[in-house]
Amino acid sequence: MQLFLDGIFLGSIYALFAIGFTLVFGILDRLNLAHAAVFTAGALVGIEIVTVFGVPIWLLIPIVLVVGAILGIAIERIAFRPLAGRHDAHFAGLISSIAFGAIILSLLQALYGADTRRFPADAFPTTRVEIFGATVSLLQVVILIISVSLMVVLTWLVAKSKLGRGMRTIAENPHAAAVLGLNVGRISSTTFALSSALGAVAGVLFTLNVNAASLGIGHAVELKALAVIIVGGMGSLPGALVGGLILGLAEVLAVNYIGSSWRDMVAFGLLFLILILRPQGLFGARKTREV
Amino acid sequence: MIAEYSSLITLIALTAILAYSFYAVLIAGQLSLAQVGLASLAAFTSALVVPSEPLFGFIPPLIIGIVFGMIVGAFAAFILGLPVIRLRGVFLAIATLAFGEMVRIFLINQTWTNGAQGLSFAKLVGPGVAWIALIVVAYWFWRLSGSRLGRAFAAIREDELAATTMGIDVPRYRMASFVIAGAVAGLYGVLLAHFSRFADPNEFSFTAAVDGLVTAVVGGVTLFIGPVLGSAFLSLLPEVQRAIGIDAGWIRPTISGVLLLVVILFLPGGLSGLIPVRKSAKRLNIDPSFQPTLPALPAVGSELVNLSGLGKSYGGVHAVQSVDLTVNAGEVLGLIGPNGAGKTTLVNMVTGLTPPTTGTGNVLGVPLTANTKAHRLAQAGVARTFQQIKLFNRLSALENVLVGGYRITQDTLLRRLFFLPSARRLEREAVAMASAQLVRVGLGEKAANAAGDLSYGDQRRLEIARALASHPSLLVLDEPAAGMNHVEAASLSELIRSLAADGIAVLVIEHNVRMMLATCDRIMVLNFGEIIAFGEPSEIARDPRVLEAYLGSAGSDEDEEAASVLAAETLAHVVDDRAAEHPERDGAAAADDATNPEENR
Repeated sequence: MQLFLDGIFLGSIYALFAIGFTLVFGILDRLNLAHAAVFTAGALVGIEIVTVFGVPIWLLIPIVLVVGAILGIAIERIAFRPLAGRHDAHFAGLISSIAFGAIILSLLQALYGADTRRFPADAFPTTRVEIFGATVSLLQVVILIISVSLMVVLTWLVAKSKLGRGMRTIAENPHAAAVLGLNVGRISSTTFALSSALGAVAGVLFTLNVNAASLGIGHAVELKALAVIIVGGMGSLPGALVGGLILGLAEVLAVNYIGSSWRDMVAFGLLFLILILRPQGLFGARKTREV
Repeated sequence: MIAEYSSLITLIALTAILAYSFYAVLIAGQLSLAQVGLASLAAFTSALVVPSEPLFGFIPPLIIGIVFGMIVGAFAAFILGLPVIRLRGVFLAIATLAFGEMVRIFLINQTWTNGAQGLSFAKLVGPGVAWIALIVVAYWFWRLSGSRLGRAFAAIREDELAATTMGIDVPRYRMASFVIAGAVAGLYGVLLAHFSRFADPNEFSFTAAVDGLVTAVVGGVTLFIGPVLGSAFLSLLPEVQRAIGIDAGWIRPTISGVLLLVVILFLPGGLSGLIPVRKSAKRLNIDPSFQPTLPALPAVGSELVNLSGLGKSYGGVHAVQSVDLTVNAGEVLGLIGPNGAGKTTLVNMVTGLTPPTTGTGNVLGVPLTANTKAHRLAQAGVARTFQQIKLFNRLSALENVLVGGYRITQDTLLRRLFFLPSARRLEREAVAMASAQLVRVGLGEKAANAAGDLSYGDQRRLEIARALASHPSLLVLDEPAAGMNHVEAASLSELIRSLAADGIAVLVIEHNVRMMLATCDRIMVLNFGEIIAFGEPSEIARDPRVLEAYLGSAGSDEDEEAASVLAAETLAHVVDDRAAEHPERDGAAAADDATNPEENR
């Protein structure tokens, strides 16, 4: 039971990162590799705000959401929008987002140095509860609740709201969307802002959970998140949540029964298998290739 | 001076070799991140075989390591390619990335690699060896770029489907680029390990893969020298910054990031795009003495296509039902019918792009089955154009036609590597044949223009020239006159007749009924997937079912009569024109003029 719960909580952090990631990747069809830098930025800026201003955690989350959204808009404007219409927009977006991510990381290094930083010890209550004979911390429960509710809200947003329809229209055909009077630029910006806001919050929660943040934390999670969104299915928000939970469980079980040195093999083995057997992922719809 | 920078100089060469490994897949339009994983496999396994003394007293240990490493890299790439080669774009990138990480974790957990502690290697590589290796690799890619293999890679990168219909076996060539990239990655791994004298599997990480990709993309894939430029730029950047006194820990990565962003955003072709090269290195060659003699086409009148009961249904929708058809060499067979009648589906089956669900067929001796590959049919002598133009947009008009000649040319890479005179001769012949086709469709003056920059009508003509370059027995044209005015359509009609006179069987779909009546020997009319009429143009023009399908006069007899009268009047002078042009054939014709050329899909 303890193993199961540990897996679920680990998975919910992967899911939180992956939900923001897949929003841009799955819906706008752009792989934003600066997402890891936003994750790191959320963590480090969050620590700074709490340490310097003594802001309580519940107020920190909305602040970090805004910071993430601003970064997201900057990423869209600088790294992606100039590429619109280029035949190699996919390749180029990959590289330009890597470059932009590197810039964000180097600026973070300028502001906060390269050392590992932590939240103050009393930043979040360390209450622990017993459920079914397993110990869980309040924080883990909060992370799980936030992940699930964000997933539900976003799924609704993408499926039902006007903004969501706009996103899906742009994904299908940006030219036609523009002709129909959609403001393609603004909708893209909004999507990136949403995605990055989630990424930044994921950074804060992740850091609270492991109680350490360094410049490199984003990269490891980014690779896992790629696995999560492929396993769950491109662009599927419920898929990202389920994929995250599956990966979390699988990793915890692997550590327990195979050995910790093989832990990462699980994520990539799973990813590889899914790509071979069911490229559209567990929850993704198969996109037929036009002839 | 040199000694001080010797390790920098060596690293530039090694990084460039890694970038060539990415370049090898990028030129075929693929994105693989497995390269450093392959490199580390090669590096660590080479440690098992590299002897400390020269083998047999004269083969240097490094040579053994290099050969072994390249074989390991190529073989591992082949094994990896078997399942992943059918993935595209970002999916391929992620699958190969996962493979790279799996290799890393696997190697870390092995005792023979010494795990995360790393392994020591003999110091066998210095600047000299590294640069010799780089020059050999760069030379190979330089000679590749103008060969038939290189053109096939470019065609696959630009449009896989069009490449298939040129007779290029796309999966095989994609695998070839994968294996080549694997061999180069293996070379890099072995050289790096024997240069740095120490390696642990964690050095070959995702970050290293991204660095290699960035190097290749910054250098650009439009020119073979790209990887070298990318490597020099990215390796020298920190050195230059240090030399001019920028040393704070964070400024250097910031400047590197900004420069990378600038290169990506403002230099679409990478650094190699800055090098001025002639747009098309090859010029038209219209000297007839270079025209090789081509194998003869099938005798006029011999049966090339035989379909019996051929049909295609999607779910419950019968796109094409039970078509019986023969096409003979030297005839022009027209296929008309309203939009959605199944015309394109039928020619897609004939060219192997769509597998039939019922019936049998035989095209140029190749049976049409569920497993018939389009490139097999193309190699047998079928060429086609597409309703939605599928040119290799970034290649020049002449290069497009040269790819079209894939079927009747030989691969020149090996000959080019050794500058054999026969390589020059074969290339001259290929250019001469391609030039002749360009001139034939009237694009002689636009040979150097990029295909994507041509006007719509010119693009249609270029597609025909590209199809003709394969010296086909059967030419399939899908709405060749769409978007052409009647003067252009008339000259197209003349071209089609002259092709038939050469002995080519032409199967043509067109909405311009006037042109079809004047051009075709026989016309088949499809509606809702069924043949509603089939015969000579004069019969077709009088057929009431055709008029009904085209004019929708399903109502009273009166309507039908009115329609016939109208159509007969409209086409009265088409018949006159035709009688004047082809006195041997006659025909009273009646039909509506072309419906607007709309896209079927």
